[in-house]
Amino acid sequence: MIDLAKRDIEHTLGKFLVTAMGVGMLLGIVLIMIGVYRGMMVDAEILLDDISADLWIVQEDTLGPFAESSRVYEDLKDIIYVMEGIETSEAMTFQNIQLPRPEKPVRVVAVGYDIRGLINPVNPKRLIEGRDIKNDHYEIVVTDKTGFKLDDKIKLGRNFYTVVGITHSTVSNGGDPLVYISLKDAQDLQFSYSNKEIQNNEARGVKNSETFVVNVIVARVKTGYDVNDVAKEIRKWQHKSVYTAAQQKMILTKNLIEKSAKQIGLFTAILIVVSTIIIALIIYTMTLEKMKEISIMKLMGLPNLLIISMIVKETLLLGVFAFIFGNIFSHLTYDKFPKRIVLEIPDAWALFGVVIIASILASFVGVKKVISADPSAAIGG
Amino acid sequence: MQKETAIKVENLVKNFGKGDNLVKVIENASFEIKKGELVALIAPSGAGKTTLLMMIGCVQEPTSGEIWLGEDKVYDNRWTAKDTRKIRREKIGFIFQAHYLIPFLNIIENITLLPQTNKVSEKAAKQKAMELLEYLDIADKAHAMPSQLSGGQNQRVAIARALANNPQIILADEPTAALDAQRSISVIKMLKKIAEEQNVAIITVTHDDRILPYFDKIMKIENRGIIFHTLDAERII
Repeated sequence: MIDLAKRDIEHTLGKFLVTAMGVGMLLGIVLIMIGVYRGMMVDAEILLDDISADLWIVQEDTLGPFAESSRVYEDLKDIIYVMEGIETSEAMTFQNIQLPRPEKPVRVVAVGYDIRGLINPVNPKRLIEGRDIKNDHYEIVVTDKTGFKLDDKIKLGRNFYTVVGITHSTVSNGGDPLVYISLKDAQDLQFSYSNKEIQNNEARGVKNSETFVVNVIVARVKTGYDVNDVAKEIRKWQHKSVYTAAQQKMILTKNLIEKSAKQIGLFTAILIVVSTIIIALIIYTMTLEKMKEISIMKLMGLPNLLIISMIVKETLLLGVFAFIFGNIFSHLTYDKFPKRIVLEIPDAWALFGVVIIASILASFVGVKKVISADPSAAIGG
Repeated sequence: MQKETAIKVENLVKNFGKGDNLVKVIENASFEIKKGELVALIAPSGAGKTTLLMMIGCVQEPTSGEIWLGEDKVYDNRWTAKDTRKIRREKIGFIFQAHYLIPFLNIIENITLLPQTNKVSEKAAKQKAMELLEYLDIADKAHAMPSQLSGGQNQRVAIARALANNPQIILADEPTAALDAQRSISVIKMLKKIAEEQNVAIITVTHDDRILPYFDKIMKIENRGIIFHTLDAERII
């Protein structure tokens, strides 16, 4: 039996492919939107995974360094260290800074850590050039996205820092590139004031004495101890908020990303609805263009099913081709976006399922037109 | 030899509307056409030619009456076969003012589409299509697209398509409307040859009195009924 859909598509192949490309770009954007969400999830977890701490101890009644401002004294790490069940604990700072570049400053998140400590946030697997920080002062490890090279000098505050290492694919939960500096430098940058400010403060009787403040104490728990129990003990005796790694992940993904996820989800849903409407309109137009032929086919006695199957097949093929073009489009463009886009195969298959359902729904408008086509319209000119 | 009846119509009535809005289009129309006959259906505009064509083409349901296609009664105050589409597919061929070939199918596919729907094998349908194309002298165009053929060639393909399902009757709706006198006569001569050689009845709606002498019978709708005219020299349209 002659495949009417195949013949029709072959007859107008160029038009069909261009139409599929247009719809495909929309579907590509849907894939990229999903990729943005996946990218945010990945970004959110990079620092957590690299630090790999079991407990995050922060200022009481705050959500920790990624969600709310938190200040704790650096020596808290020693108090935590001697608590039962703690294997190691370290102090860390997190702060947004701008790295000066001739063309445009780069906004980054600086992680300050004890370079002699046992919890090092610089993941050796991500270090693609140079080395980790070895000196207490004026060394910096940057991510490749910042554009700096090894041995570049970067002015931060009142001092110049030398780039000693370059990492790849390290970003904060907000998508900003990460840089790493020593804890002492970080404290200086975050908590020390300019000379004039110090003079003013001293005139008021306020001492510039915050350089031993940090944002968080991270700790690892000994094997055999329950992290929740240890966390409970710290909360009880130290009057601090303590989050396990799972809770910290939840804060990042649920509290910080949830709204973005909802926004992206809504955009994605709207784009899918728009794509469905566009496919439906295209199929409706394609059916309208064939109404005379459809009336003649009905007049000659061709079964409705044969004509309907042509419309449904064409719609499905349009959806499939659009999906293929959408994948090509998203894979060609995803790395051009400033933030991380993660394209995952299960997401693509899920979209394929949605496209098939959307195509079937969209074909109804064409099918309805076929059913209502009057065979007598072929007679009488 | 007595010719077989291709179509017989008795007391066919078609009304539109009801009550005060009742419009009587056809009243008690009766006629019989034999296989091999070429018949012209003429009438002024609005007299009911298309309505009659649609009723005998099993497209529009009559108000009352009887219609036979060959020996099968297809209408007896209701369609006797539920699927009128199947009747059209198996017993009737259509030719239109324009060729109305399906533009995305090539010539042979246009001709074999209907037989294949009637469960004729692809091979047998193609063989029959090639015979028809040879008969109509356009076999060399079998694999061309309709857009690559001239209007006259496409009209011959449309005739081949109408013959492909071995119909009892072919209904032609003003097939010469867009042609000049010479080409019109040539098409009607071809239809006459087809009617005789393929043993099929052809009813042709026409407004063109120049081609009437070539028809075997002239059927005219007059006073909502059917009157057969003899082929004399007088103008009858």
